[in-house]
Amino acid sequence: MRRLLGTTTAALSSAALVLTMAACTGGDTAEAVEDGGSATLKVWVMGDAGPAFTDLTAAFTEDTGIKLQVDAIPWENVNDKLTTAVASGDGPDVVQIGLSLLPTFADAGVLADLTDVLAEHPALAPSNFPDAVAPENLSTDGVALSVPWVSDTRVLFYRSDILAEAGHDAAPTTWDDMRSVAKELAQRGEGQFGYYIPLWDNTLPVQYTWQAGGDVVDADGAVDFRSPEFAAAADHWLGFFEDGSAPTATDWDQTQGFVSGATPMVVSGPYLAKAIRDAAPELDGSWSVTTLPADQTGTSLFAGSNLGIWKTSKHPDEAAQLLDFLAQPDNQIAWYDAVGELPTSSAALTELAGRGDEQLSVYVDQLDDARTVPMVPGWDLVANEMASALTAIATTGADKQSTLDAFYAKADEIQSNY
Amino acid sequence: MTVLAPPRLQAPPVTRPSRRHRGGWVPYAFVAPAMVVLVAFAVLPILVAGVVSTTDMDISGLADPSSVSFVGLENYRRLVADPQFWNALRTTGAFTVVGVPVIVVASLAVALLLHRSGGRLASTLRAFYFLPAITAIVAVALVWGYLYNSQFGLLNYLLSLVGLGPVPWLSDPTWARFSVGLVAVWRATGLNIIIFLAALQGIPHEYDEAAQLDGATELQRTRRITVPLLRFAIFFVTVTTVISWLQFFDEPYVLTQGGPNDATTSISLYIYEQGFRYNQFGFASAGSLVLFVIIAVVTVVQLRLRGSDDH
Repeated sequence: MRRLLGTTTAALSSAALVLTMAACTGGDTAEAVEDGGSATLKVWVMGDAGPAFTDLTAAFTEDTGIKLQVDAIPWENVNDKLTTAVASGDGPDVVQIGLSLLPTFADAGVLADLTDVLAEHPALAPSNFPDAVAPENLSTDGVALSVPWVSDTRVLFYRSDILAEAGHDAAPTTWDDMRSVAKELAQRGEGQFGYYIPLWDNTLPVQYTWQAGGDVVDADGAVDFRSPEFAAAADHWLGFFEDGSAPTATDWDQTQGFVSGATPMVVSGPYLAKAIRDAAPELDGSWSVTTLPADQTGTSLFAGSNLGIWKTSKHPDEAAQLLDFLAQPDNQIAWYDAVGELPTSSAALTELAGRGDEQLSVYVDQLDDARTVPMVPGWDLVANEMASALTAIATTGADKQSTLDAFYAKADEIQSNY
Repeated sequence: MTVLAPPRLQAPPVTRPSRRHRGGWVPYAFVAPAMVVLVAFAVLPILVAGVVSTTDMDISGLADPSSVSFVGLENYRRLVADPQFWNALRTTGAFTVVGVPVIVVASLAVALLLHRSGGRLASTLRAFYFLPAITAIVAVALVWGYLYNSQFGLLNYLLSLVGLGPVPWLSDPTWARFSVGLVAVWRATGLNIIIFLAALQGIPHEYDEAAQLDGATELQRTRRITVPLLRFAIFFVTVTTVISWLQFFDEPYVLTQGGPNDATTSISLYIYEQGFRYNQFGFASAGSLVLFVIIAVVTVVQLRLRGSDDH
């Protein structure tokens, strides 16, 4: 009797469970069919821009009825979050991807092919954006897996007051100028330097290679550093350390060095401008930015983020609508005004350049001559090896040729592992 | 006599096995939860790592398991051929060889002094020494980073006050090892001091008093009575400290990210970078298995040495 009762209860409760589940699924389907517009999109944005992003997209939700659930992911956790999402298969609908992480995302195969989306949404057409972020420049096969969102570039920050004191009315415009001015400024006394090169920055030597007229990727899309242009770039980079123009301290603080004047020149992005204004508002007017000093060219880095749609998203059409909304020049300008991240839409960039803000115009000018890091898997690892090799030569007196040869071999090995 | 003998012989075999049998599963039931946790969170991951280490698992392998292929011992071959792996091993070895005696001696010395003094000052100091052990590593790293900073650090400022030149605390490979090691020692001593204090309180006063009556000096009593009686505590602290140095990770990760020029890249940090920064899960698993074997061997050797010491 007791056993019978137990069995019955078990059977009943499992039946109830099944029914409840069926009811739930049924309800969901019905709802989705009734009004497709009420879908909720899960959006991952990077950094601390979550609240601003919610504000920006309020109009989108109002117009389309599509709700957004915005998660802000700190930059340092992006890789962990991505790995977890890939492993569990539980990703967002729309995701912001830093350009340097794009190859990893592509390699993981988690991004949806956007070829059809681009065709359906004229605002997303590659012709609306700079060439640097055109699909054919972001992947080896030219398939569009993401659309441009925000941009960032490197320009030369300089202390105009310190340069003027040394008799320079303008910032250096060529490599040779840069070397001589930096050397001159370094002679101001103990603890004074001319130029700060962040030793952890694995993009500057690449920018120098581009400026020397070369590339770090060969015609087949394989990483290749054995070129006269990279050698020239390495010499230029190392030169600042050889003559004491740049500090060798690995914990040098970029903002502090610029504000104190110990390193009155530095190549950095718009975020440094904000840091300087916050740290030393009184310096306003005694510093400025300009496009990078040139060798063959003055090519800079095109950094920033793209947006992609997760492959397993259940709402790809709604997600595409969101991408379209965010590609609108007006919305990109609103985003710049809200958080200071530069747009990628060419129309938005042109409009910002016309605002009469000198620094803003410099960024926009520089974006015209800027490229992204090579979009090859394992690039991050190769680039860090490059930075380590150059740092070893500059700071520990390691033999230049043998260290570089070891790095070339290492780069080949990394390539073969990916 | 012959009649009485059989029951006397038989009785024990009947009752004893049955009692043993009845109680047989109880200890296992008590141990089971711990065993389940151990198997689920220690043994199983090690086995999984062992399997993964023979594959080329990377991020695309996570998304699509069919793209993962078996590569045999290739990851181990790469590991052995990688000079950075050997560099990380040497660095970890150096940290262990120097760090273990420093931590054991420093915490033992502090514990002896604290135990001896007593009073309110001693208990305040005890809390003071324990503070580093319970402070979040990120906060610790931030503050030490500011102290060490070559531009505006307090330490270099203090040195300049007494006319000494700046020290490249985190910029020079040798100094960086020292600085990172110092923070680790500072963090690790707190807990070990408490362990030693607890052990010291377990030593009966009679031994000390007897020796005192015999005219033994303070130093003699410490060397001949207290320290030998602390043998087990010293052994315990040594084993755990050796393991924690072999797994050295937090301090270099937050203070130097392994730099400058990999001078502070420990084996754990190397594995972490390969696995979670560059997504080479197979390769990193091979590294972690090697580390596991090293730690197991070192610990077994220590246990053996301790065993022979007892006889």
